[in-house]
Amino acid sequence: MSNIAPVVQNPFRQRFAAFTADRREPDAIARLRREGLDRFASLGWPTRQQEAWRLADLGALAQIDLQRPADALVDAGTLPTLDLPTHQLTFVNGRFAPGLSRLRELPNQALIASLGQALLTHPERIEPHLERLPGLGQHPFAALNTAFWEDGAFVYLPRATVAETPVHLLFHIAGDDIAVYPRLLLVLEDGAQATVVVEYRGKGRYLNAPVAELQLGAGAVLHYHQIQEESSPAFHLGGVRVRQDRDSQANLHLVSFGGQLARTDLEVLLDGEGASCVLNGLILANDQQMGDYHVRVEHAQPRGSSEQLFKSVLDGKARSVFDGMIHVRPHAQKTDARQTNRNLLLSKQAQANANPRLEILADDVKCGHGSTTGFLNPDALFYLRARGIPAAQARTLLVHAFANDSLNRIQLTPLRERLASSLAARLALGSIEEP
Amino acid sequence: MLEIRNLHATVEGREILKGIDLVVRPGETHAIMGPNGSGKSTLANVIAGREGYEVTEGEILFDGKNLLEMAPEIRACEGLFLAFQYPVEIPGVANLYFLKAAVNAVRKYRGEPPVDAMDFWELVHERMELVKMDESMLKRSVNEGFSGGEKKRNEVFQMAVLQPRFAVMDETDSGLDIDALRVVADGVNALRGPERGFLVITHYQRLLDYIVPDHVHVLFNGRIVRSGGKELALELEEQGYALYNEEPGRARRAAA
Ligand SMILES: Nc1ncnc2c1ncn2[C@@H]1O[C@H](COP(=O)(O)OP(=O)(O)OP(=O)(O)O)[C@@H](O)[C@H]1O
Ligand SMILES: [Mg+2]
Repeated sequence: MSNIAPVVQNPFRQRFAAFTADRREPDAIARLRREGLDRFASLGWPTRQQEAWRLADLGALAQIDLQRPADALVDAGTLPTLDLPTHQLTFVNGRFAPGLSRLRELPNQALIASLGQALLTHPERIEPHLERLPGLGQHPFAALNTAFWEDGAFVYLPRATVAETPVHLLFHIAGDDIAVYPRLLLVLEDGAQATVVVEYRGKGRYLNAPVAELQLGAGAVLHYHQIQEESSPAFHLGGVRVRQDRDSQANLHLVSFGGQLARTDLEVLLDGEGASCVLNGLILANDQQMGDYHVRVEHAQPRGSSEQLFKSVLDGKARSVFDGMIHVRPHAQKTDARQTNRNLLLSKQAQANANPRLEILADDVKCGHGSTTGFLNPDALFYLRARGIPAAQARTLLVHAFANDSLNRIQLTPLRERLASSLAARLALGSIEEP
Repeated sequence: MLEIRNLHATVEGREILKGIDLVVRPGETHAIMGPNGSGKSTLANVIAGREGYEVTEGEILFDGKNLLEMAPEIRACEGLFLAFQYPVEIPGVANLYFLKAAVNAVRKYRGEPPVDAMDFWELVHERMELVKMDESMLKRSVNEGFSGGEKKRNEVFQMAVLQPRFAVMDETDSGLDIDALRVVADGVNALRGPERGFLVITHYQRLLDYIVPDHVHVLFNGRIVRSGGKELALELEEQGYALYNEEPGRARRAAA
């Protein structure tokens, strides 16, 4: 254990006692919670002396006496939809809201449910997977999530099951000075296929510290979308860990639009031969916002491929961080790993930080990475204006051209279109007119 | 329709245009020739409203309106067009999308509704044939990966679609093979008419065989040192600009 100031450690310990007092769950789960709390205690509250948290200013968050949320009512009309038939699970303040959820018929043996409920009905399906994936071991907020999660989603598709209908998971938070720890456990057995959209949003000044665990069996295919549109005073400190078996394919789209400080730590373990992943991340930040992706792709087996494209568009005094590690283990020959980071600055005060890292311990691999940061091209802007296109529209057009590169990779058309208009609205330049 | 009076302009504090006077009437085509660095593109950019050029003296009137007070997009909406010497590549913006945005921006300015999709498609196809441009170019990003000649063709294509009242062509013939040169000239000639004016910047008399100008001007060191008919281009082709390199008095005598 390191030295932790007791003032920081104690409130979580005290709250933990109160939180667990009335919970009825399997011993194995209670043990995981205690381990999570102990891990948080040993990691401590992050400081800027720690390399991984060097650029994150958690001072404002540390000042808040974070409480467990009360129940809240949400008007269904204010929640985003996908204009598609979906399996929809909605969580308000981390708790399952059956009235705002809608499950459709599922293939045999498949299960899409509240994690808390599934733990009562199908503990044998959950216990072997929950908190079993490597990664996020150093992430204090993931540890807090393991200690304090109340509910979340469980998506389980047995062998060779293809879920045609997308799974839409909506996590809404309402309240001030509260902390919410949503959990997602997704298990795709060999050959299963799923499309998942996770949306984080809310109202108020709160901490959202979600953890998603995505497990892909051999040959499984996952299209995962994580859309972060938290309220502007909110903190989002989340983690996603992925383990992929042989020949599985993970397409992960991460979009970060909201929050004052929004960080996702993403760890992908390519743990079977020929596994491949595409990681597509976009940050849009304005004012004093900060968006942050910490990514680690671990190639553990031969013939894996990974492609990372992380972009940010920064206006005002916004900042972004991209910290991307590609680690290729000695055994992982014929790995093909690529990483691209591009940042577009819309103001002189905006700042993008890029920290690409490679650790390649195998000798027969293809690895590439590149990072660029720049302003809108004034020549391009003039070219558009010289054809009659007003300056604001020309700017929007160029920003969209930059961001579209990311958004166009999203195959779910209604989601892609909604994100494009959200992008335009957030740029405060008016929505780009269909010419 | 375009009146330039005593135009002085600086770039980064250095005076590039040193008092230009030029009047183009409706229906006229003027050619500007002159050595590298004499200020031809600077003049074109000042007319189009590019940032980074400061007009320190003089004025430009477009149909009697003060052009220098207008934003670049307003100038375009008023009917001004610049065919760029170096067209810009814009990755991620499809050529067709861009063109439609431009057409609709101009229409909006004039208080007209957005262009009908079918009408637009017809216009685009007709103009594409005029400049012999391949349809695949429409889907590609603006100028991205276009060859030098394709970029110039794309400029003429845009002009043909937008149908400006006054066009400045900045070395649209440079880097073109003979066939492409004809195509570009046909594009310009198809637009010529009693209402329209052209300012054609070129280094080569050859272009002026196809686009026959009403007047030719020699721009030298930021000034128009000589003006004449189309035969002046031939003379320049033979003699070059060496004559103007000496003291201004001689140039003036040559002009007389
Ligand atoms: N943006 C700029 N920044 C610095 N100098 C400039 C800029 N634009 C023009 N100049 C300078 O102004 C002078 C005139 O340039 P301009 O491009 O107008 O010449 P030009 O007559 O078009 O030449 P060319 O025949 O080579 O196209 C040159 O000395 C050039 O270096
Ligand atoms: Mg020039």
